[in-house]
This record gives sequence, structure tokens and C-alpha cells, in this order.
Amino acid sequence: MPEEPAYSSAEEPRLVEWAKVGDMQAFEELVSRYRDRIYVRAYSIMRNEDLAVDLSQNAWVKAWQRLDQFHGEASFPTWLSRIVTNLCLDELRRQKRARMDSIEAMEEATGPIENRLEMETVDPVEGLSREELRERIDAALAKLSDKHRTVIVLYEFEQLEYREIAEKMDTSIGTVMSRLFYARKRLASLLKETLKRDGLIE
Amino acid sequence: MNENEIQLKIQALLDGELTGSEAEDLRARIETDDRLRELHARLTAVRGLMDGTELPRTLPLPGDFHWSQIAQAIEREDRETKRLARPVPRANWLLRWVMPLAGAACLVLLLTLQLNAPPDLGILLSSDHELELSDDEIDVMTYNTGDDAMSIVWLDYAIDLRPDTLQLWLD
Repeated sequence: MPEEPAYSSAEEPRLVEWAKVGDMQAFEELVSRYRDRIYVRAYSIMRNEDLAVDLSQNAWVKAWQRLDQFHGEASFPTWLSRIVTNLCLDELRRQKRARMDSIEAMEEATGPIENRLEMETVDPVEGLSREELRERIDAALAKLSDKHRTVIVLYEFEQLEYREIAEKMDTSIGTVMSRLFYARKRLASLLKETLKRDGLIE
Repeated sequence: MNENEIQLKIQALLDGELTGSEAEDLRARIETDDRLRELHARLTAVRGLMDGTELPRTLPLPGDFHWSQIAQAIEREDRETKRLARPVPRANWLLRWVMPLAGAACLVLLLTLQLNAPPDLGILLSSDHELELSDDEIDVMTYNTGDDAMSIVWLDYAIDLRPDTLQLWLD
């Protein structure tokens, strides 16, 4: 009787190869290794726990169906991350179609005026541990509009280039640059307000 | 270059998206321009904030449950894919293609027959026409013109010319 592969100790490329030929247990092991990472990416974009869970589950299903398209150009988690990011962008587009996004439209309209405002200066290390800063930035990210948060997540966390972000978001590179600038400026401003409120800066 | 463009260019420089001579020119300008140097410093600080700050999170579901959901969805999708890939039985083919085509053909035939049917007087009332009626005692003829929205009616009545009847008419 052939010996069952040791999934938990197997290296990622082996697991992927096994999963490609239909080994569900190998795929289950991949899910257990990267489920949090995929969920975090979905949550960063959507800021909604239930949606993030659903979208990350859908991403795993899509990954299973498209395993034969994975040739190892990027790492397996990076490939997965791209899948969940695309699903999140589709979901945002669907949401946008379903409602009048008046707040964002207003923000877009006032973009050039906002851009003329002074950028806040924040000293991120002043009185804050890295962990505290992470939490504060996370809270500030939640206050950004979908468009601005998405561009920040794609650039900073997904580490895509301007061109790649423009392609994914169906927009121009100029718009990506503008949104990224506005998002950073808004984050700095929100963070400064938080730090001031907590008495951590004057 | 206006203020907005300069800000975006400096950001692109910091993000490594501006290269070659354009990047060199901008660096040289930043060196010599206090305002640009300050903007560059501010952008660097803001950009530094985000470095590695994605908050780690744990999936808010038990791992086994999460996997069972995924496995069920995969199974469902596989079943659906197989169902769609199955060859269509002859009866289904008949229902899917022949029946709608036959229905469409019947409809076309019906419309053709209606168009070639003899004109209905009611339908033609919109155009100029005459209509003649006859009665034992009164002959009626009408002329109807739709364009002028007018109808003319001729009554051909055989008058009894007996003196008493004539007298009655004259009265």
C-alpha cells in the first residue's frame, strides 16, 4: 500500500504539484498555510469581515479551478493574493454600480483643491510603538474612500506598480498617482488628528 | 509644471516610478529649491508611515469550517462544470432549437397571411373613399376624406310628387 504523502511537512511547490493533479488534501494544506494572509488582503480592501470571508473563500475556489495556469512566475501566495484582489475589485465595482457614490464623486471633484492643501508632517515614531502605529494606520485606512484605500493597498501591500494598478482599476496612471497622493495626504492628516487627540503630539 | 504636477512627480520619484533624465532633472530641482526640498521631505515621511504596516489578522472562522466551505463550493462547481459539459440529448436538442424555430416560422406565416388579406373597410377609413348604401326608399352615398377630416353624405330620396305631399313639403 503506497504511503500517504506528509502534507504538513511538504514544501509548497510539492503541494502545488500534487494539488494540480487533483489532490484535495494537498490543496487543504495550502489553504491552512495561507488562509489568514488571503483573508487579510480581502479585509484590507473591503473593510468588512463577512465580505472578506466570502471573497477569500471564492478566491480559493478560483485558485483550485485555475491551478493549471499557475506556472510559478510569482510565489503561490502572491498568485493567490492577486486572485483575491481581483475579486475584491470586482465586488467594489458591483457595489459602485448598485449605489450612487456621491461622497466619492464629491471627493473626486474636490481633488485638485485638496491637492493644493499643505501636506501634514507626522513623526511616526514619536511616542508610538510599531504595533500601535499599525493599529492607528489601520483605523485611518478604514476612513478612506474605497478608491483611495484600494490604491494604497495595491501599492503598499500588494506592491504593484502604477501601471499595474491602473490596469486593475480600469483607470489612467495619472489618476492612480493622484489618488495615491490624496490617500497618503489624508492618512497623514487622520493620523495626526489621532495622535493629537491621544496627546501623543502637540 | 504646476504645484499639483510637481507633487505627483516627486511622489513618483520617491516610489521609484520616475527614472532617467526626468528623474535626474527633478532631483536637481529639489536640491536647489527649498520649497521642493520641504515637499520632498514631507512626502518621504508620509510614505514611510505605510512601510510594512498592514495589520496582521486571523480569519474569523475555525480553519476546518473554512475548508469545508471551500471544499463544498469546489464540489458544487465541479458538478456544474460536468453537467454543462455533458452532450445534449436529442430530445433536448429538439426542444432547444426546433421548437422555437417552428414557433417563429408560424408567426411569420401568420403575419404574411394577414398582410395579404382583402382590405377591411374599417381599416381603410383613414384614406379617401366612397361608400354606397342602398335602401328601398333612400339611396345613401358618403364620401369620407381623412385629410380634411370631412364626410359628405348624399341622400337620394324619391319624393312623392302628389299635390298633398308637395303641399306638405312647401309648408
